[in-house]
Amino acid sequence: MKAVWVAHHVRRQVKAHRWIVVGASAAFCLLALVAGGARLAARTVTRWGAFVGQNVHVIVYLADDVDQERAQDLAELLRRVPTVAQVTAIEPASALARLNASATAFGVDGKALDGLEPSYFPRSLEVSLTPAADLSERASDLAKRLRPVPGVLQVDAMGSGLARLSVWIKLGRELGAVVLVALALVSLGILVAVFLRSRSAVARRAAVLVQLGETASGIRLPNSLWMAAASVIGGGVGALALSLGWQPLVGLLERNLGIVSAPPLPSLDRAEIATGFALVLLVGLAMGYFATPLHRTQDRA
Amino acid sequence: MVLDTVTLGVARSELIVIEGASASGKSTLLELAAAARMPDRGAVWFAGRNTASLQRASLPFVRRNIGYCTPDPLLLLEESSLANVMLALAVRGESPGRAEQAARDALALVRASELEGRKVATLSSGQKRLVALARAVAGPPPLVVADEPAAGVGDEAREIVARALTAARDSGAGVLAATADTALAEMLVQRGGRRIHLDQGRIAGAPAMGLVPAFTPSPVSAERAQPGVITLEDDGDDESTLQPATRGPT
Repeated sequence: MKAVWVAHHVRRQVKAHRWIVVGASAAFCLLALVAGGARLAARTVTRWGAFVGQNVHVIVYLADDVDQERAQDLAELLRRVPTVAQVTAIEPASALARLNASATAFGVDGKALDGLEPSYFPRSLEVSLTPAADLSERASDLAKRLRPVPGVLQVDAMGSGLARLSVWIKLGRELGAVVLVALALVSLGILVAVFLRSRSAVARRAAVLVQLGETASGIRLPNSLWMAAASVIGGGVGALALSLGWQPLVGLLERNLGIVSAPPLPSLDRAEIATGFALVLLVGLAMGYFATPLHRTQDRA
Repeated sequence: MVLDTVTLGVARSELIVIEGASASGKSTLLELAAAARMPDRGAVWFAGRNTASLQRASLPFVRRNIGYCTPDPLLLLEESSLANVMLALAVRGESPGRAEQAARDALALVRASELEGRKVATLSSGQKRLVALARAVAGPPPLVVADEPAAGVGDEAREIVARALTAARDSGAGVLAATADTALAEMLVQRGGRRIHLDQGRIAGAPAMGLVPAFTPSPVSAERAQPGVITLEDDGDDESTLQPATRGPT
């Protein structure tokens, strides 16, 4: 079949079956959102998990009479405790600098902190524990053991907050998986419906072309092309929506949940987008190919 | 329907009118000629090739050279009459411009120019048959096979059908038309058509009409060579039959 006629057939079929084209595009868009969203969600949860696992689990505030050298000694002692991953001694000046940085990150007016001086902040030790399921219990236990130690003013275990965040992340991960599976099933259902509908829609044209002497490839090519075009358009819309919408969404969630994490926020890279387009294109071509029945030659007007 | 010991040739610029009662095997014979069915035994020669022995993938290249018009035409209902006629020419590889002109000419030949822009779904069954006839003779292809071409088109359209078939013949096509309509058959015979009567799957009064070679003569048919486009022949076994094949056309 000449290219000009292939283009003619593609145009005619898109015009004749516009709702099937819209349905196919919508299904592929949903599929792209599900697949890309699942990848981004996994990345985001990992990032939040890292926040939970790697952030400070116990803060030991030291008394005013504890100097820098004594603080380092205490830190060294803590490092020897099993399950302690890291201990960082924070000087008052560093504490003030951090507070200013956090305020800037959350968009708080920095002038409110202008009156603060480093001497207002106690010297402290930040303790990170090795990540595990009993993180909050271990943090509380360590805090309990540290409170009677001379030179220790106060110990904040942060256990309840960590546990709550862990639970939310776990719950979100499970709910997200359920939602993604449900959406994947819905999009696959739409794709199957589109496939069956297009199969019946193109059956007569295929039968006519068989009778007129068109080759099997000549009959299938236009169907494959318009289905592939619909799939690429749908997949493209899905990828665009994820590219434009995911980072603002995650940023908003992190601000609301109080999660401070280092940029950049998760996004799909070029290789992933290219792979997605290639897969969508192949599925579209295959759908158009297999949705063209060539045996119904007795279907008469 | 069973065909028995049928040997028939159609030459270029030849018009053959097959008459016969209902269920005499006319439609089966035409389906075999149009490569819409494959015989269980025997051969169907077209352009030097036995279509009965061709691989399925090769059949489209035979079919596209045959304008096949059935009593119950297969048309694209949501397309215009013009688009339906153009489709046959597109399959043959004509350019869109030439295909459109040839399609308009064919529709004019069957006096259906006013139907050009109308969707086939809106046409009467008689109008659909005229569009199908126009599609069959458009070009024209080397062979036109018309099964009951005047059925349902009305008495006044008989003349149109006869004119279209003879025009295709005059343009160099071999024309094989089957009809139970004696008036149409008479018209075609008066215009130079050769009449053949089919009775219970056999050609009445003539056990063999002579083998006609295709464009490239085959060893079998070269002995009785005369220019032609299609040959249907029995395989020489007295008890053999040409039966509708169960094999699909593709």
